Amino acid sequence: MQGSLRGHDDRRVVIIGGGPAGLTAAYELCKAGWKALVLEKDNTVGGLARTVNYKGYHFDIGGHRFFTKVKLIEELWHEILGEDLLRCRRLSRIYYNKRFFFYPFRTSNALFGLGILNSMLILLSYLKAQLFPEKPEETFEQWVSNRFGKRLYRIFFKTYTEKVWGIPCSEIRAEWAAQRIKGLSLLTAIKNTLFAHKKSRNADVIKTLIDSFYYPKLGPGMMWEKMAKRVEEMGGTVLLGADVQRIMLKDSRVSSVEVNLNGMIKTIGGTHFISSMPIRELIHKLEPPPPEEVTIAASNLKYRDFLTVVLIVNRKEVFPDNWIYIHDPEVKVGRVQNFKNWSPYMVPDQNKTCLGLEYFCFEGDSLWTMPDEELIRLGQKELEMLGLIDASEVEDGTVFRMPKAYPVYDSTYKESLSTIRRFLSSIENLQLVGRNGMHKYNNQDHSMLTAILAARNIMGANYDLWQVNEEKEYLEETVEGREQTDIKLLASTQPKVPTRITEKDKATIPDEIIVKAFAKLDKLAFAVALGMVASLFFCILNLILLIKGDKEAIRMFQLINQYFIGYSVTPEGVAIGTVHSFLWGFMWGWLFAYVRNLILAFLIYKARRRAESMSLKDLLDQI
Amino acid sequence: MENYNDKKLLTAVAMLNAKMLGFTLGILLGLTVFIATNWLILKGGHITPDGKYVVGPHLQLLSQFFIGYRVSFLGSIIGFAYGFIVGTIAGALIGWIYNRIVEIKDKLTA
Repeated sequence: MQGSLRGHDDRRVVIIGGGPAGLTAAYELCKAGWKALVLEKDNTVGGLARTVNYKGYHFDIGGHRFFTKVKLIEELWHEILGEDLLRCRRLSRIYYNKRFFFYPFRTSNALFGLGILNSMLILLSYLKAQLFPEKPEETFEQWVSNRFGKRLYRIFFKTYTEKVWGIPCSEIRAEWAAQRIKGLSLLTAIKNTLFAHKKSRNADVIKTLIDSFYYPKLGPGMMWEKMAKRVEEMGGTVLLGADVQRIMLKDSRVSSVEVNLNGMIKTIGGTHFISSMPIRELIHKLEPPPPEEVTIAASNLKYRDFLTVVLIVNRKEVFPDNWIYIHDPEVKVGRVQNFKNWSPYMVPDQNKTCLGLEYFCFEGDSLWTMPDEELIRLGQKELEMLGLIDASEVEDGTVFRMPKAYPVYDSTYKESLSTIRRFLSSIENLQLVGRNGMHKYNNQDHSMLTAILAARNIMGANYDLWQVNEEKEYLEETVEGREQTDIKLLASTQPKVPTRITEKDKATIPDEIIVKAFAKLDKLAFAVALGMVASLFFCILNLILLIKGDKEAIRMFQLINQYFIGYSVTPEGVAIGTVHSFLWGFMWGWLFAYVRNLILAFLIYKARRRAESMSLKDLLDQI
Repeated sequence: MENYNDKKLLTAVAMLNAKMLGFTLGILLGLTVFIATNWLILKGGHITPDGKYVVGPHLQLLSQFFIGYRVSFLGSIIGFAYGFIVGTIAGALIGWIYNRIVEIKDKLTA
């Protein structure tokens, strides 16, 4: 894979990082005839999405599902992998108290798994949360408890979330969870509720996204190895073991990077630079150093690290899931991957199982620094405690540590990031892409999209990369979102041009109509109007009776005084009756408007809850 | 959860289409008179002690206001027309008054 540096073309793009973002940018540029040079610190490509091969057993760092709503990205996966991209059925359950639970929850499964008494208590706690939600919702604990009930939160969210992030749920801001539903539109929710039957095709797509995904035959690393090869075939260069030491700035531009290439220091120049290296490192490698406030901001960015203990188990079947979430607080393991269930090609011997025990930690903590042998023993012990395997069934094991797996969204990160962004925006020829490159919880597809847009920016476009995964359309479960994630819609960051009305636009119900249909009736106005018209008509009818003087008719009409006390078909009685009829009309008008508004408010509430629960369907995946 | 359109959705106050409300109420009232009259005709009347055959004496009282109305099939058509006119006027008036009040309230709160 190691190529030589080709020529000194005027237009050379230097890409720091050979992960999904870096390689995608290189691929996009090379396809357009640009020269791209990828500098990868490690001796393998793929970054966080690499696949490690241990004695023929392949394992993934964290489990990378290949699913996206961005057509362009899906096409790219097929373009690179072709037949090697397998369709994989998804099964990932919660393992708690030696039982498996489906997520989203299934009533019978939860009822039998948790026991009838526990289920009743969960139901009561859910009802309590619905009737008396904790306000204000400031913490993640309050936010989830208000939606699922305290008891369900404690069983299914608390332990796992705290394992992943290493912070008590009572100290995590509610915003973090709330951002999942922040972008949901009430109008869209109502449209989906009212016209759900017309959306069956989209609903199928969403269901598919949840129930299955693509996965390369030999893990995600296969995608990146193939892409790196294609980049080189098209004239690009991918340098492995190329550790960027310094990034040289000159006249508000990056002029070159200083690279330690397997022990040799080299200076590499370029016209454009794309970085997917952790933003904290990037800032500290700039030469001359940026202002102090920027370096302090960079130092404030934190990461959550991650290690996988891989155990080879001498058993054909351990569990049928792709991965399971471990919610038991007695063990430290957070998730267990069963790589064979992602792709059978991940293991060389189908009679064996390769399990990846995922431990979330901080670089340098007791778990991170624990010797590999001890970690393997810990893994064996914990799997036995959980009742998944017998420790003696473990034949072999290895440990893989992945620093900076997740950017941490703490209370200071936003401010730090905006300080850094302000500074970096002054560097004309540098773009940031990817998860750590942008300190953004981007999935693989979002990282790739930022890279494609960065490459297009170099070719003359003007996309705002920070919009990716920022707007509501990137929420995975929203029906409308799927359509909107097409890259063309990112043209919202481009100058506007006239567009033709499509058939789809014609079929879409304009928001104004929904707003009109769901607008409230003014209770007072409606009551007064009905009261006035009722009294007017009552008065006219009585005047006609008085003028005509038909005794039989008057006798019959007089019966109304059973309800209108004081009414009679006389001038005084008619006046009293008119007041009565106004009051009755007013009352019925007010009641009608009130009930109508109540029904509509209930419909809106239902639509909102439905949309919320749709967006929370994979909350655990997003933790 | 709330964006500009959602805010509009939650705060919007309906304005009534007075003409449509009048037309709807007119149809409803007209049909009510028409059906009520024909229902009584189909049910049949009764013979009074003085030997008269009477159908719907109470509904017949409508003739006090609807000149020409009788409890008969032809009367039901006349009743429909009267009901439609009265309903239309009532509905249009309700809509008009309601809209004026909402406008006044809007001006006062603006």
